[in-house]
Amino acid sequence: MSKKYRTLPGTLFDVSNYLFLSLYGLVAILPFIYIIAGSFASDAELTERAVFLIPKTFTTAAYEYIFSTNIILRSVWVSVYVTVVGTLFNLVFTVTMAYPLARRVLPGRNLILNLVIFSMLFGGGMIPTFLVVRELNLLDSLWALIIPGAISAFNLIIVKNFFQELPPELEEAARIDGCTELGLLWRIVLPLSKPVLATFALFYAVGHWNNFFSALLYINDPEKWPLQVMLRQIVMLSQAAAGDLSSMDPSFVKPPDQSIKMAVIVIGTIPILLVYPFLQKHFAKGVLIGSVKG
Amino acid sequence: MYVLLAPGLLYFIIFKYVPMWGVLLAFKDYQPFLGFFQSEWVGLEHFRVFFTNPEFDMLLVNTLLLSLYNLIFFFPAPILLALLLNEIRIALFKRTIQTLVYVPHFISMVIVASLTYVLLTTENGIVNELIYQQTGEKIDFLTSPDWFRPLIIIQTIWKECGWGTIIFLAALAGVDPEQYEAAIMDGANRWRQTWHITLPSIRSTIIILLILRMGDVLDNGFEQIYLLLNPLNRSVAEVFDTYVYMVGITQGAFSYSTAVGLFKSIVGLILVMGANWLAKRFGQSGLY
Amino acid sequence: MKREKKVKKGLLIASMAFLIAIVLAGCGSKESGENAPASSQQPQSSSSAEQSPLELDIMLPVFNANYPKDGSPVLAELEKQTNTKIHIEWVPNSSYSEKFNITLASNDLPTIMVADPKNASFVNAAKAGAFWEVGPYLKDYKNLSQANPVILSNYAIDGKTYGVYRARALGRNGINYRKDWLENVGLEPPKTIDDFYHMLKAFKENDPDQNGKDDTYGMVLVKWTGGWASGFDVIKLWFGSPNKWGLEDGKLVPEHETEGYLEALKFMRKLYEEKLINQDFAVYDSAKWIDPVVNNQAGVVVDVTDTAGRIEQKIHAALAEKNQANPDKQFVDNMIGVEGEHGLKALPTSGYANVLAIPKSAVKTEEELKRVLAFIDQTNEAEIQTLLYSGIEGVHYTLDDKGFIVPSSDAALIESEVSGLGQMLTYIPETRTLKSQKSQTALSIKTEQLQKEAEQYIVVNPAESLISKVYAQKGAQLDNIINDARINFIVGKSDEAALKAAFELWRKSGGDDYVKEMNELYAAVNN
Repeated sequence: MSKKYRTLPGTLFDVSNYLFLSLYGLVAILPFIYIIAGSFASDAELTERAVFLIPKTFTTAAYEYIFSTNIILRSVWVSVYVTVVGTLFNLVFTVTMAYPLARRVLPGRNLILNLVIFSMLFGGGMIPTFLVVRELNLLDSLWALIIPGAISAFNLIIVKNFFQELPPELEEAARIDGCTELGLLWRIVLPLSKPVLATFALFYAVGHWNNFFSALLYINDPEKWPLQVMLRQIVMLSQAAAGDLSSMDPSFVKPPDQSIKMAVIVIGTIPILLVYPFLQKHFAKGVLIGSVKG
Repeated sequence: MYVLLAPGLLYFIIFKYVPMWGVLLAFKDYQPFLGFFQSEWVGLEHFRVFFTNPEFDMLLVNTLLLSLYNLIFFFPAPILLALLLNEIRIALFKRTIQTLVYVPHFISMVIVASLTYVLLTTENGIVNELIYQQTGEKIDFLTSPDWFRPLIIIQTIWKECGWGTIIFLAALAGVDPEQYEAAIMDGANRWRQTWHITLPSIRSTIIILLILRMGDVLDNGFEQIYLLLNPLNRSVAEVFDTYVYMVGITQGAFSYSTAVGLFKSIVGLILVMGANWLAKRFGQSGLY
Repeated sequence: MKREKKVKKGLLIASMAFLIAIVLAGCGSKESGENAPASSQQPQSSSSAEQSPLELDIMLPVFNANYPKDGSPVLAELEKQTNTKIHIEWVPNSSYSEKFNITLASNDLPTIMVADPKNASFVNAAKAGAFWEVGPYLKDYKNLSQANPVILSNYAIDGKTYGVYRARALGRNGINYRKDWLENVGLEPPKTIDDFYHMLKAFKENDPDQNGKDDTYGMVLVKWTGGWASGFDVIKLWFGSPNKWGLEDGKLVPEHETEGYLEALKFMRKLYEEKLINQDFAVYDSAKWIDPVVNNQAGVVVDVTDTAGRIEQKIHAALAEKNQANPDKQFVDNMIGVEGEHGLKALPTSGYANVLAIPKSAVKTEEELKRVLAFIDQTNEAEIQTLLYSGIEGVHYTLDDKGFIVPSSDAALIESEVSGLGQMLTYIPETRTLKSQKSQTALSIKTEQLQKEAEQYIVVNPAESLISKVYAQKGAQLDNIINDARINFIVGKSDEAALKAAFELWRKSGGDDYVKEMNELYAAVNN
């Protein structure tokens, strides 16, 4: 904002605000730094020291172990594919459904909204859903990770709400210009809703990226396992090693240790963390209204 | 319009309503092998067992209190943070902080729990060592019933607050800068700008999130609580979710957990509809 | 232009959704359609032609990120030796129980599946006739006929055995302690409970790690969940407490109502009060159980005795990192237990880790069942155990001059061709694999002997195989009462009167019915 805006209380507020947010940022990130540090530390160090930000002995053994099985890279590809395609799918389905529902005059609208809200609270559960997926012949197909979660009722309602908030004058103006409904959606509503779309793209993408349970249920073929399933298997080896199996099954090659668990978190998290800064430019204040008017 | 609606509607019918027969399992003694039709009908038996459980009152109180604390302390936190971020003028700083505070969302609850332990345990816990040096005493953060709810709230705020701001930042992005300029012309200070321009612009988002939040008042996030629960704080820590899990270990409990889920859903539906009705009464847009 | 594109996209989506709808409609009523694929999918080779290979579809849990594919070298060798054609359905262990239930629900069962015989879904499915009762057939097979009757009865349902168990050492539990610490404080390995107490006390007070600081304690305990109470489950037996259920005048008595149990709790309370156990045990993560022993903070872990080997390994690794490697010194030792007035007692494991169950919908005739059992029997031959456990000689391992196995260092090869196949082994009557070179340390050899020897001291739970309806309904609640009461007692937050009151509450909250039902079940089986 402009210079004349500055006042003493305003400056005091600014200073404490910057301080507070810096501190908060630090508190938020420190544990993750510990995890990164731990992923480069030796198992012995992790057993000995409770927390640290810099490992005494630096080693990449954990990463070497994880990437020694080349199947990890393939699972990264599966995850990226499911995340990208799945998110596109989510957005198309969510937007096309939210847009008509944002019209207060649409007959049958409330019934449909009630159905959506109801399904958000009541669900059939794991086995009935599995049977549907099986009957649709989606088992062992990556579509099983995409289609059954095509719309989140929660997200749908919020997107619908955002659409409803758009100034009605814009639509009227466009309609006078002879836009069809689809044209209106494509030319006016979507550009105006960029921050919203970016937000829900992020929500959906994170959901896809972190989802392992559907894959565990629906995908038997390890060639199609996403990264999270693979990483869980690696972590589980170390748990199994502590328990019953190690004594019976020495064909366990090398039970991963603490640092591998941490490396697994780093590998599983960093790619999706990078999505947000990339989307952030769509959140810049006022950009949109200006662009529409200009 | 209806053509646009069709794919979404089909999706809800196929993947949400076709499997919906699953809720009927609450009235059966469902055995996977026997299948739906062969399993025995037991009527309201599972509900009877659930409601007559001597611990039911304790579970209800614990569940509701935790939800209430969450609503009071956690729900406003992302809004506040979003407003604070909104006041930042240096774009780079703002983006950096935004990115930093959203990182904890990706750290699994298991890690959060183990960090909580490392910080707070009475055996060389970092925080407790500091307290010990100052006061010569240690605090039973992890086993004392008094500390359980505050700890849950703190964990939740740390983990989800930054993530929660994203949706408000999206709403704030829609605010027309001209409004602020006009307000400055009128001599409004920053507090007044926030109160009269910023907050109203995200009000409907806040309300809708609040209404939707009502739907899971009886869900408390199983994993987080389970990891912090122990026999010494069980009197305040045990909630429906953890209890059903425990029962599930001793008996296959498909039907029982479906029954409890159904109960939670019905309560959720009533609360969502009630909150929506209230919002409408106060002239807000609500869910529809 | 743009608009047209959009329209096309919309149409595409609509038509896709339409297709989905058609596919669904084409399936008809889901529930009734379920049986069709299951029955048609298993074209069993005609069992009269004994020469044709037996088709096996085996569902196993997988722990690795990779696993042997159908037809890979080790599996091919197994198929050749057993005249079978094997398909393995690998299920990630973390979702095994969900997958198991789904498999039951979808009625599309494999020929052999690993199952937890105490899982309620399994029990009910078995009662409903989903699985073959193999009990009467076992006697006809060379190896399976030598199955341990105690273990068989441990997982029997109404006296019937569904599935072949995968054997584990019965006498695994005991004491692991820092041998070097014991020498440093000048004590002999403990023989009695008193000795054990003095060992813990010396580990706290006599600077066992000789660093001049008061920074050690005796024994590590971890978080108690459900009915499991880390070291206490072992220690209570030293005081004469039964293992879950005791027998008095032919009647079953719950363990917490016995004198020994109370004595044991008092002992624990004393240990806690004198700070001989970690004061935060109620919240201490079991994944870190051995860390304090490795880090020279504590000296004793009461758990399975093979823990000693893992501690030993970690201590050596830590020393190596500090350039103080001392590979010849043994730091850790183990023992079965210490004696109270009731002699040496040991806590048994169940003796099995899940069973191989044989579904009737996949194996239709008795004849086929016999072939499947013959296959399981055959996997217990020494060569096949070694094959499934270590792979093929020259490819996955070599033998050293003493005949011990040296596994290949190619981890990826072993993961993709061997690891996990051991999951189908039942080890009946015993483990016959060639020993690995790594298992030839003094401690490993001792541990193996110890676990054998411990079998004669185990305290059997007389009610192990009884399945109670009351417990199914109220078990969680009943266990909580006891669990809360005993921990509060140990950490000094409640006294003996409060403890007794809790035991009384247990009786009133359904314990009375539970005890009565268990006694009826017990009487029915033992008459």
